[in-house]
Amino acid sequence: MRKLAIFVSVLAFLVPGRPWVAAQSQPQAPANSAEQQAFLREFNDACSQTQDAMLLTKDELKDLVRRCDALVPRLTKLDDTQRKVYKRRLEQCRGLFAYVLDTKKDSDK
Amino acid sequence: MKKYFLLPLTLLLALCFQAAAQIGVNQPGIKQRRPLPPEYGRVVIGQNVDNPQLSPVVFEHWIHRSMFTCRVCHVDIGFAMKANGSGITPSDIQRGYYCGACHNGRMVHADKAVFAGCSLHETVADQERCDRCHSYGKVAKSDYNFARFSANLPKERFGNGIDWEKAEVQGLIQSTDFVEGISVRRTSLAVQKDFALNPKVESMPDIIFSHKKHTVWNGCELCHPEIFFGVKRGMTKYTMVDIFQGRSCGACHSTVAFPTMDCQRCHSRPVQQ
Repeated sequence: MRKLAIFVSVLAFLVPGRPWVAAQSQPQAPANSAEQQAFLREFNDACSQTQDAMLLTKDELKDLVRRCDALVPRLTKLDDTQRKVYKRRLEQCRGLFAYVLDTKKDSDK
Repeated sequence: MKKYFLLPLTLLLALCFQAAAQIGVNQPGIKQRRPLPPEYGRVVIGQNVDNPQLSPVVFEHWIHRSMFTCRVCHVDIGFAMKANGSGITPSDIQRGYYCGACHNGRMVHADKAVFAGCSLHETVADQERCDRCHSYGKVAKSDYNFARFSANLPKERFGNGIDWEKAEVQGLIQSTDFVEGISVRRTSLAVQKDFALNPKVESMPDIIFSHKKHTVWNGCELCHPEIFFGVKRGMTKYTMVDIFQGRSCGACHSTVAFPTMDCQRCHSRPVQQ
C-alpha cells in the first residue's frame, strides 16, 4: 500500500500540466521581435479607426477590411497568448468595418 | 392495523417529495434566487484543471466597472463576453495579458499600485494575494466594500442598486477608457442617433435606444457585429425570450447592466393614443 502511495506521488509529480512547472519551463516569447512589433503597429493603425467607421467611405472601409484580412496569417508569428488575444481583437475590429460597410451598401439600395 | 399502513404511507410520501424535488431541479424555468446588490454581475471563472487546489476566481464587475469602461476589458484586453470563454491561463496573466494587463504590481490606480496577479514563483506568503482573486468559497480580503462604495451613488431598483448611467453623467465615477500599452489610441467617437424600436406587444411603450449612452461604455465593436449583427434596422427580430436567455440586449442586461425586469428603462416612450 505504501509503495503504491509513493508510486502515485512520483507519477503525479511527473505528469505534465502543472501550471507552476509549465510557467517556469515555458520560454518567454520575444516580446519585441520585429515581426511582432510590425504586427502591432499595423493592428493599432488599422483598428484605431473603429471610432470613425461610420464617417469613412466605402472604399476606405474596404481598404481597412483588406488590411485586417492581411493581418490574419501574421497571427501565426505571435506567441500563444498574443495570438489568442489578437485573434479576438482582430475579429472584432474587422467585424465592425465589414458591418459598417454592409450597412452603407444596404442604405444605398 | 395502523402499523401496516404507516410504513408504506411514509415511503410513498418520501417518494413523492423526492419526485417533486427532482422536478424542481430538472425543469427549466424555475425561478432562481435574485442576486443581492453586491452579487449582481459576479462571475465565477472556472476551476483550474491544472491545479485543482486553487479555488475558482470570483470576479466582481461592480469594482471594475467603477474604474474602467466595458470596452477596455472586452475589446482592448480581449475578455470574452461569457464566463470561461477566454481560456485564460496563469501564464497569460504572468505575461501581462488579461487580468495581468492591470494586475501587474506596477499599474497605479488612485495613488495605489494594483496588486499583481498570478506570479511565476508562488510562495506561502503569496497565498493571501492569490486568495484575493481565487476566492470562491473563501472569505477574501478586499480593499473595496460595496456598501461604502455605493452609499453616495444614485440609486436604482434592481441589479447592483446603482444607477451607473447617472453616476457616470454626474461624474461620480470616472471610467477610464484607455490602458497604456494595451488600448489603441482612438479619436473621439462620432455618436450615432438614438432611435425607437417598436415592440411586438400592442400597448407596450416603444423602446428608445440611445447609441450615446451605450457607446460611452462600449464603443462600437463590442456590440457590432458580435451581439447585434443585423445590418438593416428592424429586420433582425429580437424576442424577449432571446433577451432573457442572454442574447442581444440580454448579453449585458441580464448579467451586468441593469436587468431586464426594469422594463421601463428601455420601454420608455409613452404609447401614442
